[in-house]
Amino acid sequence: MVKETPNSAASDAARWAALIEAVAKREDREAFATLFEYFGPRIKAFMRRSGASEQGADELAQEALLAVWSKARLFDPGSVGASAWIFTIARNLRIDGLRREKRAGRDHTVEIDPEFHVDEGPQPDAILAGSQLESRVRNAMTLLSRDQLRVIELSFFDDKAHAEIAQTLQIPLGTVKSRLRLAMNRLRGLLGDFS
Amino acid sequence: MTIHHHPPEDLLAAFAAGLLDLGQHVAIATHLVGCPRCRDTVRTMEHVGGALLTGLPPTAMSGDALAMIKARLDGIVPAVASPPRRATGLSDVPGLPKFVREYPAGPWKWIAPKVHMRPIELPEASETRVFLLKSRPGTKMIEHTHTGFEMSCVLSGSFVHAGGHFGPGDFDLGDGADDHEIMIDSADDCICLIAMQGDLKLNGMIGRLLQPLIRM
Repeated sequence: MVKETPNSAASDAARWAALIEAVAKREDREAFATLFEYFGPRIKAFMRRSGASEQGADELAQEALLAVWSKARLFDPGSVGASAWIFTIARNLRIDGLRREKRAGRDHTVEIDPEFHVDEGPQPDAILAGSQLESRVRNAMTLLSRDQLRVIELSFFDDKAHAEIAQTLQIPLGTVKSRLRLAMNRLRGLLGDFS
Repeated sequence: MTIHHHPPEDLLAAFAAGLLDLGQHVAIATHLVGCPRCRDTVRTMEHVGGALLTGLPPTAMSGDALAMIKARLDGIVPAVASPPRRATGLSDVPGLPKFVREYPAGPWKWIAPKVHMRPIELPEASETRVFLLKSRPGTKMIEHTHTGFEMSCVLSGSFVHAGGHFGPGDFDLGDGADDHEIMIDSADDCICLIAMQGDLKLNGMIGRLLQPLIRM
């Protein structure tokens, strides 16, 4: 799990953001290789947990890193942290992969990215810069209980219905939802404290 | 627009994690259009996703992955923000997310006195159907139960039921356990986007007569 001191969380967030910007501005291959070495194996682990085969997970991780390369100029460090941005790329590829499976070969492409662009209404009052939010979330997560972290992790990564999570953790279904809700409220409270 | 009813945290988490089917995703996205608070929650959850991702135990990539990928970099054209796509019949509906406005939609269909519905065609298979429901002021909706859950986002007008008063931007989650008795209490039509799983069962004789019509 996430076990980092406040300082390392902040410097990691800033370092990854700088690497993505180096790719965006200079097509910096060294910076790309560093991102690849760090994020590739983690995205692969994410895809494996979501049910992808060994080879499928490898391909999806490679596709994700190729997308990091091609989309680097769209990365906006003011609004999103580097690892959150990479997470959303991996997430959208996972959705795409699952849909392709369902379509079973029928040729058809729908772009996933626009489905997450919904910022059309009024903006929240205070917006934290991406890397600030990233390090604050990481620090706040170290203060959650093990149970709270576990339920967040399961609901994020394993493509499991809450009923299955309840089975895995051997707790009632209602507890999964209330634990997740409590964990998120605690996280929001902690973020409020930090700001 | 003051929003009083929000989706529960577990649904916002599932949205951020990309685990909702497209129909449910559309309903949450519609709420987000008008709700800065929930957008902020989703943004926070995406950062939770980032933190979880970096905390995962790494799984080694295939040996030649970096070399293979480096060889492909030259051929890659940098991505640009997607251009706007063609507008469809939904472009005039207020409060829908941009990507939903590009989906094809059928015509308004009469389904009950003072109630019309308009199916939205999703580009992907989804267990959840999505449609607009338009009800005239004063309509008392036919009492119904459903076998799955139902998400409603108010786009215009308002309604009231035992769970409270719902106006533009509000999100209502019916989990199939309760019967709704809904009353449209706005002066104008109430238009909602509904994402529904399972079949709607209408109670009463008129309901049973209407049932074949409401199945899309």
